[in-house]
Amino acid sequence: MIDRHLCERVLARALKSGGTFAEIFYEDTTSFNMLLRSGKIEQAAVARPRGAGVRVYDGLRSIYVYTCDVTERGLLLAADSAAAAVTDTRGSGRDVSLRERATPDRHPVAIPVLDVAALERADLLRAADSAARAVSPAIAQVTAALTAREQHVTIANSEGLYTGDRRVYTRMVCSAVASSGAENQTGTEAPGALMGYELFRERVNPERVGREAARSAATMLTAPYCSAGEMPVVIAGGFGGVIFHEACGHSLEATSVEPGMSEFSGKLGQQIAAPCVTAIDDGTMPNEWGSENIDDEGTPTTRLVLIERGILKNYMVDRLNGLKMGMAPTGSARRESYAYAPTSRMRNTFIAPGEDDEEEIFRTMGDGLYAAKMGGGSVNPATGEFNFAVDEGYLVRDGKIASPVRGASLIGKGGEILRRIDRVGRNMTMGQGMCGSRSGSVPTNVGQPTIRVSRLTVGGK
Amino acid sequence: MDMDIRAFADRVLEAAKCAGIDPAQVSASSSATFTAKVREGKLESYDVGDALTVTLRGKAAGRIGTASTQALDEESVALLVRGVRESAELIETDEQDEILPPDAAYGEVVNYSEELERVTAQEKIARAMEIDRRLTGTGDARLKPDESVLVTQRETYMLRNSLGLDLSHRSNLVYGYTAALAQEDGDSATGFKLRWGYGMDDVPAEEVARGCVEDALANLHAGRLKSGEYKVVIKHSALADLLTTFSGIFSADNAQKGLSLLAGREGEAIAGACVTIVDDPLMPWGMASCPFDREGAATYTKNVIEGGVLRTLLHNRKTAKKAGVQTTGNAAGGGRVAPSNLYVKPGEGTVEDLLAEMGDGLYLTEVSGLHAGANPVSGDFSLLSRGFEVKGGKIARAVEQFTVAGNFYRLLADIERVGGDLTFDASPIGAPSVRVKALSVAGE
Repeated sequence: MIDRHLCERVLARALKSGGTFAEIFYEDTTSFNMLLRSGKIEQAAVARPRGAGVRVYDGLRSIYVYTCDVTERGLLLAADSAAAAVTDTRGSGRDVSLRERATPDRHPVAIPVLDVAALERADLLRAADSAARAVSPAIAQVTAALTAREQHVTIANSEGLYTGDRRVYTRMVCSAVASSGAENQTGTEAPGALMGYELFRERVNPERVGREAARSAATMLTAPYCSAGEMPVVIAGGFGGVIFHEACGHSLEATSVEPGMSEFSGKLGQQIAAPCVTAIDDGTMPNEWGSENIDDEGTPTTRLVLIERGILKNYMVDRLNGLKMGMAPTGSARRESYAYAPTSRMRNTFIAPGEDDEEEIFRTMGDGLYAAKMGGGSVNPATGEFNFAVDEGYLVRDGKIASPVRGASLIGKGGEILRRIDRVGRNMTMGQGMCGSRSGSVPTNVGQPTIRVSRLTVGGK
Repeated sequence: MDMDIRAFADRVLEAAKCAGIDPAQVSASSSATFTAKVREGKLESYDVGDALTVTLRGKAAGRIGTASTQALDEESVALLVRGVRESAELIETDEQDEILPPDAAYGEVVNYSEELERVTAQEKIARAMEIDRRLTGTGDARLKPDESVLVTQRETYMLRNSLGLDLSHRSNLVYGYTAALAQEDGDSATGFKLRWGYGMDDVPAEEVARGCVEDALANLHAGRLKSGEYKVVIKHSALADLLTTFSGIFSADNAQKGLSLLAGREGEAIAGACVTIVDDPLMPWGMASCPFDREGAATYTKNVIEGGVLRTLLHNRKTAKKAGVQTTGNAAGGGRVAPSNLYVKPGEGTVEDLLAEMGDGLYLTEVSGLHAGANPVSGDFSLLSRGFEVKGGKIARAVEQFTVAGNFYRLLADIERVGGDLTFDASPIGAPSVRVKALSVAGE
């Protein structure tokens, strides 16, 4: 953490020409990335991003100045630069006095990755690589990477807050390519958590990761293209939750809601989804990829019910949008690094377990598509138009999973898909992703039980 | 700041030498960014910042290691030296000879405007306000303006090594954009327009606002499209997006690792005979223009595809050595290979000409979700799209909520006609509009 009195001087300097609120966000991060390809360690590098951002509210206007010069001189220069942009000079020249607020650590870390011998870390990647290659002779290439990041943040603001957090992220990404010579198909697995190297002792088996990526690639290599049309679609749990993340989650962030650029603006208390849908955004889940102790404005993170039995209950709100909307912040303010001003973002976002039986979900669907593995997607929050890639899909004929298909995508509008969910299974699982939006790329979990959508446009050829 | 970085690089090279890291190379990338966002006549946010990354690469115990930092202090010097030694111990790939003395000669290219550096913050904010005013000023009740944004960036890249290499290049640019939501009778569509360049004249407020309004209204009340095979004219910006996503297929590094299907296909016809694709690092005022690559090799202009025939893949020194050729000056750092300014060479004719020649089909104006719906390794794509149905050579109606599916390798081969409207849309990768034989559409 940086010194409390230094923070006081920087905040006072930031408010010297006026402004209603000032904040400093300081981060000191160490990251380690290692990549194995063609059976050899190809990259291994430590990096140390470090810097700070000073934010001033000039009325409801945000002024943000960031710098990688974290000497007292550099921080005061950043504060001066922010102060120079303030136009409302009422209440200038305030003193700031800070009191430390400790936050209980819900996400303990047992083994920092950099404390583990380098060769042992490399062996993890080799284990994934050989397991993947053993799956099929068609596996032509395997890329396995280990990424670890330890971010220390200090957050102080002119309301007297002085606090900090440590976030330790560990993740393995394995991508396998199956090739026939003329065609390639890929499969990817990417499990991670807000914890240290114990990830590989408690939750993730590297061989399983490699095998699963290879199995998916090999399956898709012999699969025909998915035929296009409108049909019922069953979406598996885990990363399948990306559908809620894109189709609805982004449109519930204050960033879209406050300026009226969301299809869900002004709809609190209204039925926006089928009654079987309850959706939650929870930053408190112990050691989960999208969790934190506090958000990037220092607000303790929360568990937030977004939709309860189809009724819209809450938006995800950061401090500045909260002021504009007259709503309390929900501990949802996040940013990729000090180079971004924070804004409202998702954390671990999932559709809650429902009451439907998995066997019945398939049996009664007739002909359609089973999306066993989803890829990424994107959304236009203003219109709700979304699109997703199905990385591993299966045709369903007469209620039975029939044969694999490749190249499928799902498109539609968020408001429509939420109403068309007609089954929600009982067992919720989550998958890890990096979510990109206006405050950069942040770790988020997506999740859901198996769900069924009565009708969706499936793209293919 | 630039002087500080130079002195720091000297300090790091000296420390590396003392630690037995030889040869050693320091790269430093520094940038300054300004962003003003305006909404409803008010400045909503004002962001400025400086970023810096210093990377040390060097040979220790026969292997080349890498480490980087963002802080110019003694602690960082030690971290870089230790990081490189630890990294070198782990690395297992061979043929790592990318730290070399300078080439005999380097080309010259300018993509830095002194004049842009003299534009004040007030003038930049005023331009964003002007775009917003023009957008709001249409008085069209169907329109809800979103943000109007003005951004300037300045970057300096420096590369120095213990073998006498001492290079640096700086560039800057400005861009402005705005977005709006159009709503009528329960239907909605968004519009967007961006302009960029090296002076404030390159971001004309009136044109940005008008372009955004036209885009939003043209897409309002879009219909669905019937599923099936369509002849397609692809708008320049949509083709540039596809080319960006799939540009990795031209990387020799990917080809040698089985991640591109172009391995060993130099000399073969892989695209329509009308297709020439150029990699031009010396393009005047090109966004990615630079006389040297990330290994310090001199860059030059070459045809990747010429008249449909694959002439060369893009190489760094390592992939070139493996293939028995010379580097093409496309080292991107970290052992990777990337294009510089990459574009499809324009032919002749406007989009209207291309549509008229096509007769009936689809005019594809926008593809989205490329990070998910397009697979750079297989070449497959299935993408949410927007466009217009074309009847009798003319635009008949706007269409949305359909996907266009195909394979990029096949798409290259299916290009039958290249238009003359080459555009770089805030990207170093550009394209003209083209007509292709057929793509699969999934709609109703």
